[in-house]
Amino acid sequence: MSTTAVKTRSPRVVASAPTRAPKRGDRSRSVLMGLAFVVVALLALVPFWAMFIGTFQDGSLLIRYGLNLGLNPADANLDNYAMLFTDSGPYFGWFANSVIVTVVQVVGTLLVSAFVAYGFVMYEFRFKTPLFICVLVIMTVPFEMLMLPLYVQTNAMGLEDSYAAVILPFLAQATTIFFFRQYLLGIPTEILEAGRVDGVTEYGIFFRLVLPLMKPAMAAMAILNGMATWNNFLWPLLVLRSPEKYTLPIGLNTLLTPYGNNYSLLIVGAFFSLIPILLLFLAFQRFFIQGMTAGAVKG
Amino acid sequence: MKVLRPLAALAVVAATALVGACAQPASNQPSDEYSSTVDQKAGEDATTLTLWTFVELHGKFYETMAAHWNEQHPDEQVKLDVNVMPYDDMHNKLQLALTSGEGVPDLVDIELGKFPNFTKGTPALEDLTSYAEPYRDDLVEARLDLYSKEGKTYGFDFHVGTTLAFYNTELLEGAGIDYTTIQTWDDFKEAGVKYHDATGKAFGTADTSAQWQANLLLGQLGGDYLDADGNVTVDSPEVVQAFEILKDLQDSGAVAVPPGGQPDTEEAYGAINKGDFAAMIMPEWFMSRFTAYMPDLKGKIAIAPAPVVEGAEVKTVGGGGTGTAVPSVGEHKELAAEFIAYAKLSKDGNEEIWRTLGFDPMNTSMWQDEAITHDPENEYVQYFTTNPFDSLNAVSDSIGLLVSATSPNAPSVNNLFTTETLNDIFESGTPVKDALAQAQSDLENELGQ
Amino acid sequence: MVNDVATPATVRAAPVVRRRRVGRRPAAGGSPAKNLLYSRKAAPYVFVLPFILTFGIFWAFPLGRSFLMSTQHILPGVTENVGLDNFERLVGDRLFWLAMGNSLRYTLLTLVLLIPIPLVLAVWVNSRIGSPKIKAFFKSAMFVPALTSVVVAGIVFRLMFSESETALFNQVIGAFGLEPEKWLKNDLTGLLALLLVAMWRWTGVNMMYFLAGLQSIPAEYYEAAELDGASRWQTFRYVTLPQMRPTIIYVLTISVYGGMAMFLESFMLYGGNNSPQNIGLTIVGYLYRQGIEKNDLGYASAVGVVLLLVILAINITQLAFNGMFRKGATR
Repeated sequence: MSTTAVKTRSPRVVASAPTRAPKRGDRSRSVLMGLAFVVVALLALVPFWAMFIGTFQDGSLLIRYGLNLGLNPADANLDNYAMLFTDSGPYFGWFANSVIVTVVQVVGTLLVSAFVAYGFVMYEFRFKTPLFICVLVIMTVPFEMLMLPLYVQTNAMGLEDSYAAVILPFLAQATTIFFFRQYLLGIPTEILEAGRVDGVTEYGIFFRLVLPLMKPAMAAMAILNGMATWNNFLWPLLVLRSPEKYTLPIGLNTLLTPYGNNYSLLIVGAFFSLIPILLLFLAFQRFFIQGMTAGAVKG
Repeated sequence: MKVLRPLAALAVVAATALVGACAQPASNQPSDEYSSTVDQKAGEDATTLTLWTFVELHGKFYETMAAHWNEQHPDEQVKLDVNVMPYDDMHNKLQLALTSGEGVPDLVDIELGKFPNFTKGTPALEDLTSYAEPYRDDLVEARLDLYSKEGKTYGFDFHVGTTLAFYNTELLEGAGIDYTTIQTWDDFKEAGVKYHDATGKAFGTADTSAQWQANLLLGQLGGDYLDADGNVTVDSPEVVQAFEILKDLQDSGAVAVPPGGQPDTEEAYGAINKGDFAAMIMPEWFMSRFTAYMPDLKGKIAIAPAPVVEGAEVKTVGGGGTGTAVPSVGEHKELAAEFIAYAKLSKDGNEEIWRTLGFDPMNTSMWQDEAITHDPENEYVQYFTTNPFDSLNAVSDSIGLLVSATSPNAPSVNNLFTTETLNDIFESGTPVKDALAQAQSDLENELGQ
Repeated sequence: MVNDVATPATVRAAPVVRRRRVGRRPAAGGSPAKNLLYSRKAAPYVFVLPFILTFGIFWAFPLGRSFLMSTQHILPGVTENVGLDNFERLVGDRLFWLAMGNSLRYTLLTLVLLIPIPLVLAVWVNSRIGSPKIKAFFKSAMFVPALTSVVVAGIVFRLMFSESETALFNQVIGAFGLEPEKWLKNDLTGLLALLLVAMWRWTGVNMMYFLAGLQSIPAEYYEAAELDGASRWQTFRYVTLPQMRPTIIYVLTISVYGGMAMFLESFMLYGGNNSPQNIGLTIVGYLYRQGIEKNDLGYASAVGVVLLLVILAINITQLAFNGMFRKGATR
């Protein structure tokens, strides 16, 4: 954007102030800015369009000649979609697996992490500080580093090739605990006393009084964890061995083999896998943005 | 929990997806992208054998052989549960499965380049030597040796993979070249330069992600990447000479790096099909890639013996391969071993290998059987202008072997060459000697030599 | 108001605690199990127990084991202690240093690209001019790529970066009269492809972080700046940037982590862990190659330990430099 186009005396470029009267020259700057936004937004959408176009073409030809934004009507057909719905083998099985794993992981992680965060906020106890430091440490250790010993470990526990091994390590999720803790710090401790006076158990206070208050935080974390699980690749790839247990990302990756000639299913399957998440995004846009940016909590 | 409204929405999507999934009949049977079309003719009492492979066509072949086996062995019927997985993924998983002893298949296709990984230390694979005995006299011994360690054979291959030359006759005629005159690498270069001058295009390929041509040259020159003890010798004079010959071809314009880095990639099929390359020096099994992926070239491709270094005793080498192995922990390992010996070594099996996969099988008793090799109904016979067995029989007594292929150090060599060294030489223009010296030092470091 | 749930300050006011009368009372002489439910001594431990278990089983133990394994040579069935041999081998391992260089380079460039650009975009979106509808569309369009899994993104970009002249990026440079490029075979163009995938997926997310930060800057600051007659640049430099510091530091920290741990983008773009001349090899890729593909768990663990130390070193340096330890990063 050109800042020299119009000289303006206003220093208030960043703060939103809808009440201010528009300045001279703001109009042309506004148009330019709008234009820039549209261009950048369209660029961001190019890969989606390319993929959409690709779903109407023969997958092997895409591998041979690449993907572009044009579609030769003579080559276009619905064969890939016909295959997806009639002869896609395990594709919808992977889809269902991904959905199941994601739902179980999200519900489990939210409940367990909220439970733990509540303990950290509402009580004083021995080892509280060292334990909380552990939460912070996990947030800085790359999971990839733990992957191999963790793999050896889950095998030793008899969890190989199971969803338990995929889900369990992330149940008490450090980022989520941290986020819930920050959120709960804002809830007055009187609620605890009030509950106790009313004769509610320590756990009843959490489940019946506090949990309902955590709704917005839950929504944000559901999205964050849901996205992470839905797209998780490396760990499930290591743990899951039976093709019928594969999740969608691993399953799609298996189609990228020179020996199977499955490129058509790959492209249409990849495109189709975006649809549920895009629909959810359109319905709950606000929560998505909150969830994804939730980490930037200011202390 | 009404608290979690977005979760409820997720659950709705989940439910929808599940309903959708259950409506798909295919998802009821546990299998991967491979959907079987072959009737295995297995009865109720058939023993189920799990089989892992990374090639869909191999799966179909095994199922066809299971049907034959079941007809001949009504008391020992088998039912194959075929799993097709991606190449890297399958080998990694197999390694992990064999280490843990859990989830091990009854039968598994192991690619030649990966095979030595599985015979390190005490192999977790069954010794198949005795199962090969009934067929041994007719087999190309070198192909059994390839999967052997200390005299014990652990895998059966599909084919010899004799390296041959595939010429696009239409393009060659256009440039005034007669492929039958190409005998030596000098002839090949001369033809390549002539073709390049006439068309502006490359004649052959300079491969950066495979070593087919390099291995052929090494076999002819009597060199190898490793010595008998597994010591790295990639900077030896023979290896340098082999790559100098290939580099000289590239510099003269006769060959160029194909899309995908070697002929056996989807990208290269496209380029070859379009006529961007006219000569491919590839193992025999490349035939099946023509029929499957390059239909436009039907009736235009001639098969001839590969070019040789003048005076070489070894005229060609076997390239690639897939050894089917039987993991020792398997419950039905005897049955699995008997079945695989029948499927891959018997004349029955070898006829089927040629018919459906288009490979030059290990059992040479069928190479001379013109009823099979020149069967006019055969799709390979129809596709090519010359019969592959004419070329195969011409070289059958001088098919060599790079012994390095059986060394446990071979996977490291192949990995380094196909990622680094070949790209250094053919893409970056690093002098052959420097690139190989670098490879020598990298490999010595990695292997602790 | 993107970020208000995330700031505890707003939360404090928001929830209305409705006191409910619950029938049960603490039973003084009840059963031991019931007493336990009311025990304030036991409660905190019960609450943090799931964390202790997960942390112990799935993090602390493997972490310790990772350090132990890094001093071992592990073959199936045989494990021998080799002291620091694995680390000595790392020092002389050209490919390890290549992977390290690739990861560092990628991290640095993602920082250079993915902090200033989203920040400027956020400032524009937050400015009072421009159509709100276009801005809303812009925000959504920028955010949607983040929803795409790397697997899908990698497949699409791989096809668009194909070396065929008909692939998108070759068409684009072809429009400028340039010859088709083998994007994924050359070091710099391969890096460009990786960076483009990163920018496509993360520009929108980082922009949202910054937007949330911008919206929490009190308007009075800007009014004061205006009274002082500050120029637009001066306002940005002396009001916006200092106020955005915590957000920028946060984005910096997660970007360092994300960049150094990058693996899947390369894995998908190159259709596996082997790229020509290893131009796409990252530290995690090398760990995967040694640990999974070559089954050398000891050596791979040494790679992991080095990765951990590097990330910690970069982030501690960065946080110290930014003065985060003086005030304390968290409360």
